[in-house]
Parts: sequence; structure tokens; C-alpha cells
Amino acid sequence: MTDILPGTDPVSQAALKDEILRAEHISKRFGGVVALNDVSLSIYKGEICCLVGENGSGKSTMIKIISGVYTPDEGDITVNGRQYKKLTPITSIHEGIQVIYQDFSLFPNLTVAENIAINQQLASGKQLVNWKQVEQIAREGLAKINVSLPLDAEVSTLSTADRQLIAIIKALLANARIIIMDEPTTALTQKEVAALFKVINGLKSQGMSILFVSHKLNEVIEIADRTVIFRNGKKTMDQDAKGLDAKKMEFYMTGREIDGQAITFGEVNQADAPLLKVEQLNLARGFFDVSFELKPKEVLGITGLLGSGRTELALALFGELPANSGKIYLQGKEVQIKTIQDATAHGIAYVPDDRIRQGLFLEHSIENNIVVSIIGRLVNRLGLVNSKRKASEAQRWVRQLELKTPSPELPVKSLSGGNQQRVVLAKWLASNPKILILNGPTVGVDVGSKAEIHELIRSLAQQGLGILLISDDIPELFQTCHRILLMRAGRIVEEYKRQDITEQALNAELVAAAPVRADASASTHVSAQP
Amino acid sequence: MSADTNTPSTPKNSGQPGRRFRIEGQTILLLTVLIVLVIFFGSLQNKFLTSRSITSMGFQLPEIGLLTLAMMITILTGGINLSVNATSNLAAVVAGLFLVKVMPPDLAPGAVNLYLVAALAIALIVGIVNGIINGFMIGYIGVPPILATLATMTFFTGISTGLTGGATVTGFPEGLSIVGGKDLFKIPIPFIIFVALTAATYLLLNHTTFGFKTRMLGSNPIASNFSGINNKSITMKVYMFSGLLSSVTGILIMSRTMSAAYEYGTTTYVLLTILIAVLAGVIPGFGSVIDIFFAVLILQVLSTGSTMLLAGIRGSSFFKDFAWGVLLIIIFIINYFIRIRKQQE
Amino acid sequence: MLKKIIRSNEFVIFLILVFLSLAIGLVNPAFFSISTLFDTLRASIVFLIMAYGLLPIIIAGGIDISFVAIAAVTSYATHMFLIGRGYQGSILLYYTIACVLGVLMGLLNGVLVTRFKLQVFDVSLAAFTMWYGFNLFFVGATANYEIPQSAVGYYNQFIIRTRDPFVGETGLHVSILYVIVIGLVIAWLLKYTTIGRGVFAIGGNREVALRSGFNITRITLITFAVMGLLSAVAGVTQAFLSRNFNPVIFITQPLDVLAAIILGGAAITGGSGSILGTTLGVLVIQLINRALILTGIPVEWQRFVVGLILILFTSIPALRAMRARRVGHTTELVEGE
Repeated sequence: MTDILPGTDPVSQAALKDEILRAEHISKRFGGVVALNDVSLSIYKGEICCLVGENGSGKSTMIKIISGVYTPDEGDITVNGRQYKKLTPITSIHEGIQVIYQDFSLFPNLTVAENIAINQQLASGKQLVNWKQVEQIAREGLAKINVSLPLDAEVSTLSTADRQLIAIIKALLANARIIIMDEPTTALTQKEVAALFKVINGLKSQGMSILFVSHKLNEVIEIADRTVIFRNGKKTMDQDAKGLDAKKMEFYMTGREIDGQAITFGEVNQADAPLLKVEQLNLARGFFDVSFELKPKEVLGITGLLGSGRTELALALFGELPANSGKIYLQGKEVQIKTIQDATAHGIAYVPDDRIRQGLFLEHSIENNIVVSIIGRLVNRLGLVNSKRKASEAQRWVRQLELKTPSPELPVKSLSGGNQQRVVLAKWLASNPKILILNGPTVGVDVGSKAEIHELIRSLAQQGLGILLISDDIPELFQTCHRILLMRAGRIVEEYKRQDITEQALNAELVAAAPVRADASASTHVSAQP
Repeated sequence: MSADTNTPSTPKNSGQPGRRFRIEGQTILLLTVLIVLVIFFGSLQNKFLTSRSITSMGFQLPEIGLLTLAMMITILTGGINLSVNATSNLAAVVAGLFLVKVMPPDLAPGAVNLYLVAALAIALIVGIVNGIINGFMIGYIGVPPILATLATMTFFTGISTGLTGGATVTGFPEGLSIVGGKDLFKIPIPFIIFVALTAATYLLLNHTTFGFKTRMLGSNPIASNFSGINNKSITMKVYMFSGLLSSVTGILIMSRTMSAAYEYGTTTYVLLTILIAVLAGVIPGFGSVIDIFFAVLILQVLSTGSTMLLAGIRGSSFFKDFAWGVLLIIIFIINYFIRIRKQQE
Repeated sequence: MLKKIIRSNEFVIFLILVFLSLAIGLVNPAFFSISTLFDTLRASIVFLIMAYGLLPIIIAGGIDISFVAIAAVTSYATHMFLIGRGYQGSILLYYTIACVLGVLMGLLNGVLVTRFKLQVFDVSLAAFTMWYGFNLFFVGATANYEIPQSAVGYYNQFIIRTRDPFVGETGLHVSILYVIVIGLVIAWLLKYTTIGRGVFAIGGNREVALRSGFNITRITLITFAVMGLLSAVAGVTQAFLSRNFNPVIFITQPLDVLAAIILGGAAITGGSGSILGTTLGVLVIQLINRALILTGIPVEWQRFVVGLILILFTSIPALRAMRARRVGHTTELVEGE
């Protein structure tokens, strides 16, 4: 049963617009788990359809069925008027369906031109490579979306945004009629997102259909013509995007209302001595003249675009990229932080933005991942690891952070994104830190878990921790922070109290053009605004 | 995503502390192969299961066994140590030259023993110093392990060659042969040393924080760094330990052959240790000392057994190399099918 | 364009080569002679052929050490078979039989890797042990110095002859032509064929290569067949150049060839590498070996010096990379540049 909301009538929409793809009554089970339960989805010519849902809602399964990777257990798919019981990847591509995955499917060691042209080369079945033709194909491709990239640059040297453009061009050159983009903005800065949306809108005006899969609701509001929401393998909404707001979408995604107003923030006692004080901190090609204070029980947000120096600042405080000059005081005493061991010895913990690469040991058990930072404390008198204490310590954090897993002995890779992030948090909370630095704590985490992690951050602060939260997710900052520092081109340019600024205003400040400096290192004397 | 998050997965990493004595698939496989081989050779050759042949195996296996442990711990960290054999030879050469050139002739037996102990200490120090050089290049400078140890392999062999002028060092005091050539309660002393060091390595890797950190470092060095593990110092210690085990091997060889040479074993010895580690299923982050022990036993049984069986045939001692290669391929294929079956479950 | 050349790996190794030559020439002017050049080239021939065979496997992300065993078995087994039947004919039959064997042995590795999803290195380790053991046990354990009648003069068949005051008549051996032809063919295959680009694609991102529709199995098998083929060519060439057939030839050298390729700019993790770089890498190592004889360093200390040079070669790029890691990446600063 599909509970399509009143006011939406796919049939009448089909009459108005050309329907390119229609997936009807699709069901798919994996073992005992129902991934999709009688779901229908249509895509029309020249529209941007946003598919929204939490992790595990069935979005990915739907994409894989449309692109022919999975065979549905029930239901059928009609593409360009032809009906299929199941699609294969090849027929799906033949019908003009192109998926752009999060990894963009590029070869980092090959040039831009070759990456663009490689599918044509393979499709032609030719055994020899004509490099003139490769270049020509690449030029034509770039012209299609009206961008310019260095053709002979290796893709590994390009930014994420540029790689995405190449992936889009590849899809276009494959004669795509529907482009499916799976979480395309995850690794993009706000500016790059704006540029991407321009490209997407350009494609739409050329008659291309876009299925935009995302859980970033503000982006969905900005780009969608029509919004489809999945929850627990069912479609809960399918309607015109006009007049849809984030709160309503959240309701259909989670089945409950997440009330932004009901949040209670802990009090920061202004009379308290600062936990952390940073004076005139500098790092070559990182940041300049950074000074700020962090009080106990305070959540201090640091925002800025990718490449504004926000991550470098975190890494400097954590000892991974030690600052070149400046002073760091912890509870009033000046400390030297030259290594990560210095930082952890002083009670500073860091939850990195790249969870998979920097935060987790995927093949290892949840237990090992949790105790890794405190293993030195879990030894007996002989200096051997006390396996009982190790297990009980892990068990304690599994309970405390409500980690959803049958056993802490399972490898971390068996967990969902939100639960994986809890493991990284548990690893550092176990070490009983004084200061917690969180870098993008909810990147790739679904809405439900996100709210829970925000609640956790607030309650940790109330227990006395000082928290530095680095994020460019504006609502997140407003859900958690007492104060917010704005970084731009390696400097702290502004400080806001949460009550004194609106989300819209902060967003505008964030994306405002960064000042271009010819010689940044020469201008370190100019003091930044505190 | 729903498919990913809901797929039930089984832990492949069971050989960890906390799960003491849980026997893994790889261990069962190796043990089965070992038993099959022992029964096979035992039934075809009644000489095979005599105390004499077992004792002779007990003398031969510790050298390659210790060298394999030296290799294994570096593989655990995601590295490799191609200089294990060069280190073992250099340790023997330096200790040997000390005995031949520095020790005054015509000493009282007690004084000779003192010099012998000093020589053994020097060999161990050489091993540790070599380990420090490797550990510094890999951990502190960041040279890829395979390149760093390839360079130091040549370098260490070069020192041995230079010091000896390419000649074999001989003429050691008789007392030296105790370590590598005598037995205690009918158990060869080298075998006792091997078992003791295997047990020590097991304890170190499975029940100490050093071992825990080593395995975490091996499975994701970036995450271990961000988890507060001092990658540099762990890497340094691992290569130092690897150097130490290599130098013990050098002592055993020197004591058994009563000679020291720059060229003993060469590259083939190094490759053999990697082969045993691969046979035992060691990969970065995961691997068991017990499996190494069984893998060494398998190779030794195959070697002794086939040489006995083919005695009298020209080049019979080379058949083992052929058999090792074939056995390794067979185990790879068995492992492949085990993996496939696990995935289907 | 010029900037790109200067930044390339090949250019750096070329500079090292020039610098080394000048330094050695200053110590001993006898180094600057045609015969030194010819000697270095002659010593490089078989290593170049083996390295060319190994390069595609490395680019595709594998590490193989069994190529030396294949070179040994194909040349030695072919010889023992032919000489046992009193063969006195042309060298061509040697190459033919050895090449067929080489391709089959290479394919065996390839099949194991592709069919059973095994690591290239693991399989090659097994093959290395297996084939040397096979050679020694089943074929023969001692070197053989018989040379077929019609191939006796092959070892000094020169394309250019020269007279040297110290060594007498010498020259550039004809097999340098094979090296040039093989090098050009492999370079062409890598650059101008779909299969060659597939080799790079697999090394760059295997998963994507599969998704893009490259036939990974076929490409992998081809790289192993090429490796087997060229190993056989190298094995037979080595035997005729040195006028002896040795069952354990090259047994200590697989890592040296690997080192030369890496020195030549190929990434050990796959995805990059070139014939030009590989050539320069092999030449640098051979040059160091030659040069040390001429610099007056005692023979027994030469390996020590080679080791020291290798330590420097591997440490310097790592040190540079380490320093680059100690600064931030605040990209907004360089905008507009």
C-alpha cells in the first residue's frame, strides 16, 4: 500500500508532463529484511526530482533497482514506454539512465580528457586509442555544461567539485536522459554547491531529468521541483516541492516532529576561568593570528568554508599540525602541543571529519575501536591487557551512547553511519577529556541520529566539557553552539552569539566572497578581530 | 543503504585478546594439513617418526622460524622487513669477528666464557641497531617499508662483506656450539629458544598494549595516529624487535655451523619467511603467532619428509621447494572456497 | 610543457644519471669511454627486458617476484631438452620454445590470480619457490656450458665494434636491438591501446575499471603472459651472453629489478610508471655498479656504498614529502594565483 498524500495525483501529472520512467509497486527483500515495500516512483522529462530519506529508508535500493544492479522481487519498470520486469545495468544505460555515485567513478591517475572520453573508447570497441579524438570528446563534453578544466591535468590533482563536473560530463556523453545523483553535495563547499546547482538547472532547461538523492533538507528546498520521501522502505510523500518546508519533510522522514524550539542549552558561567585560551596562533599556509577563549560547559562553533583554515586550526590544537607560533593556555597554564600525545595528555580529544579514514578501524571490533585511546589504562599489575575490563569498558559505552549492535565484538564496518560516529565519540569520551573538538560530527549521518548526536553534544557540555564544534552546517551550529566564530582565509573574522544572529544572516556571511590575498604570510601583523 | 546496514556480518577478527584460545579457521586448516603430512610421511617412511629425525627437525626449524617471526611482526603493521636475513648475517659476522680478532688467544676457560657472553650481547645489539635504522627510515622519515628495507638489506650485507672481505669467519671457541648444537633433556636448545621466543611474541602481540597498538596501526595507520597512538614509536619498536629476533637467528646459525658469512641464506631465505607468513594468513592488522608456529612445522615436515622419501635421487633436497610452492597454491585455493562458502552463509 | 618535463620523475632520474656520470668521470677519467658505455649497456640488457615485462603488472597494482624463476626455468629447461637431443642448430628455436613455456607459466600465475581472487604477490611467491624447485629437482641442479654449434659466436655478435686500449676489441651487442624493440612495443601498447589504458585504469581504481566495462580478467591475463614471454627472452639472452645455462640464475635478484622500476618512478601501489623511467632506473643501478669498480673503492666495500646510495635515494623523496605535510592547506589563500 502506498500512502501518497492527498493533493498529489501522479496520473494527472503524467498527463501534464512526459513521463520517462515509472517504477510501479516495487518490493525488494534482503533475507528477512524488507528494503522496499510496494513503492512506486515516476520521473518526468525536464524536472528535478529530489529523493529524500534517512539511511536505511530504501533510497539506495531504489537507485540500484532503477540502474539495474538489483532485481526487484515484485513490480515492474517502464522506461521510455518499454516495460521491464527487471533491468540489467546495460539496458539501464541504453535507456539513458546514468548514476553518479559518491566516488564519481573516476581514475585518479589518468588525465581529465581521458577520464571524460574513456567510456566512448570502451563503447566503440576499438583496440587503439586516438589521442586527438580523446581530446576532442573532452572539449565537447566541457562545452556541454559550459565549464573549463585543464584537459591534461591528472584527476588526482583536482578538487572534489571539479571531479563531480567530470562525472556529470561523463553521464551526459553517455546520452543520459535521467541523471541520478547520490548525495552529490556531501564533500562540497557552499560555493561549490551553488555552482553545482547552476549546472543542474542548466541541464534541466535542456530537458534533462535529474533524480537528486539527498538528506540535506535546505538543499532539497532550494533545488527540487518535486520531492519524494521514503521511510522504512515505504513512500511517505510525493508532491510538488512548492510550499514544502524542512519541518514538514522531517516529519515525513522520521515519522516524528523534531522541534527546533524545544532545545534547552546549558548555562555557561561567564565568571568561570576559560578552559582553553588561544593567543595569536599561526600556522604556515593554515591560519593566522587566531585568538579565542573556550569556557567550561561551552560549545563554541567554528564555521567557515572548506579551505578556510578551520580544519587546520583543529589539527593544530590536537597536535597533528603543530602551530608555528602563538600561545595555548589550558586552565590558565601555558602548554606546548607539538604532538597528538601532548594533546591527549592534556585532555584534548578530536573527532575527525573523515570518519572512515581517520576515525575508525573498520575491520576491527567495536570493542577494539572504543578502547583504542585508553588501552594503556586497562592493564593489570603485570602490564598485560585485562580483557575483562576491556570488554566491560566497551560495553559501558555501547549502553551509554545507545549504540545499536547485537555485540561489541562485531566489526565496526557492520554499523550504520550514525552508529559509527557514536563509536568514534565513545573512543574519546572513554578517555575522559576536558576539551572535545568535533569536526563535522554529523556528516553522512541521517536526520534521526543527527538530532540524537546534537542532544548528546549539548548534554556533554552541560557535564562540564568544553566543546569546539567545526561545521558549515548552519542549522547544526544553531542546534548546539553558544557562540560561533567565522573563519575566512585563515583568520577569525567575526564572532557571534547564537541569540544575536539568524541562520539566514550567518549563511550569507559564510558564503560571502573570501578576500584574496596576494601574500598572506606577509600580512600576519594585522591583528584579527577577536 | 538498507542492504548495507542490514547485512549480517560475521567477525573475521576473532584471534584477539578477550577471546583467548578460540581456534580460528586458518589454525584448523593448518593443523589438518600438518596432521595429514605427518601421517603420510610416517606411513611411507618408518624412519620419519623416530626420535632421531624429530631431533634433527628440532635443530633445523628454529632458524627459519625465528626469522619468520621477525618478518611477521612487520607485516602486522602493514610493513615488511626484507633485511631480516642481512641483519642475522651481520650480527653473526660482527660477533664472530669480535671472537676471532678481539678476544686474546690462550685465555682461561672462564674468561673465554665471558667473551662468549659478550659476543652474544654484541650480536643482539647489532640486531637492535639495525632495527633502529629501519624503524627510523620507515617510522620517522616515512620511506615505504619495502624500499627502506630493500636498501638496508643491501647496506647491511655490504657491511658484512666489507668487514669480512668476502671470506667466511671461522675459528670460534668450542663453547659457542652449546647454543645451536646441544640439547637439554633431549630437546635441542635451539628449539627451546624458538618455543620460548614464540611464546614471548605471542604474549607481546596478544596481551600487551604494545601488541594491541601494533595491530590497530596495521589495519589503519591514519586512524591509529588520530586515536593518539604514537605510530612512530610503535613502528620503531616493531622493527627493533624484528632486528632482535633476526640477530638471535644469526647466533643460532653461527653456533650450529661454527662459522659466520655475509652470504648465508641470501634473498631466498627472506622470501621463504614471507612465504610462511602468507601461509599462516598474516595480513596487516591480523595474524596469529600460533599459526606461524604451525606453518613453520608444516614446511619443516614437508622438507624432512620429502628429502627422506626421495633419498638417493639426484637433487632430492630441492623437491621441497617445489612442494612448498604447490602446497601454498593449494592452501590459497582451499581458503578461496572457504571464503566463498562463508559469504553464502 | 617544459615545466611539465622538468617536474616529471623521469627528468629527476635523468639528472641523477648525468650527475653520477660526471662525478665518476671526475674521479676516474677512464670512465668517459665508449667501452664503458657498451659495458654498462651489455650488463643492463637482460635486466631491462625483465623490467619491461614486469612494469605492466606493477602499473596494474601487483607486485611479482616469480619472473626470475620463469626466466631460469624456461632457458634452462629448453637448453637441457635440446642439448640432450644433440641439437646444434639456430638460437631461434631456443627463443621459440622458451617463449611458449614462458607465456604458459605467466598465464598460470594470471589464472590463479583472476580465478581465485588471490594477491599477485602471494601467487608469485608460491610460483617463485615452485619453479626454482622444479628446475633443480626435475631438470638439473648444475650449470651447463655446452653451446650449440651455430650459436657459439653469438655472445660477441656486435652491431658496432670498437677498440679499447685496456680491454681490446669490444662492441655493442646485437641484443640491445631487442631491448629497443621490446621497449618501444611495450611503451606503445601502454599508451595507444585500449588494453594498455586498461592496465593504468586497473592500477588507478580497480572497482571503477570494472564498472566502466574493462575486461579485468583478460587484461590481467595479458600482463602475465607478457611478463612470462619477456622473462623467457631475458633468460635465454642471459644464457647466451654469459655462455652458461644456470638453473638458479637470477634467484637473488627479483627485488633488485623491482627496486629499479620503483626508482624509475613507478608507484609501488600501482597506477603509474613508464618505460622511459624504468630504463633510466635500470641504467642508474647498473651505472653505480660499473662506476664503483672505477672509483677505486675496494671491491668488498662496494655493496656497502650501493646500500648507502639506495638509503639516500629512498629517504630524500620521503623527507621532502614529510616537510610538505607540515603545513596547512588553506586553499582560499592561493585563490586568484
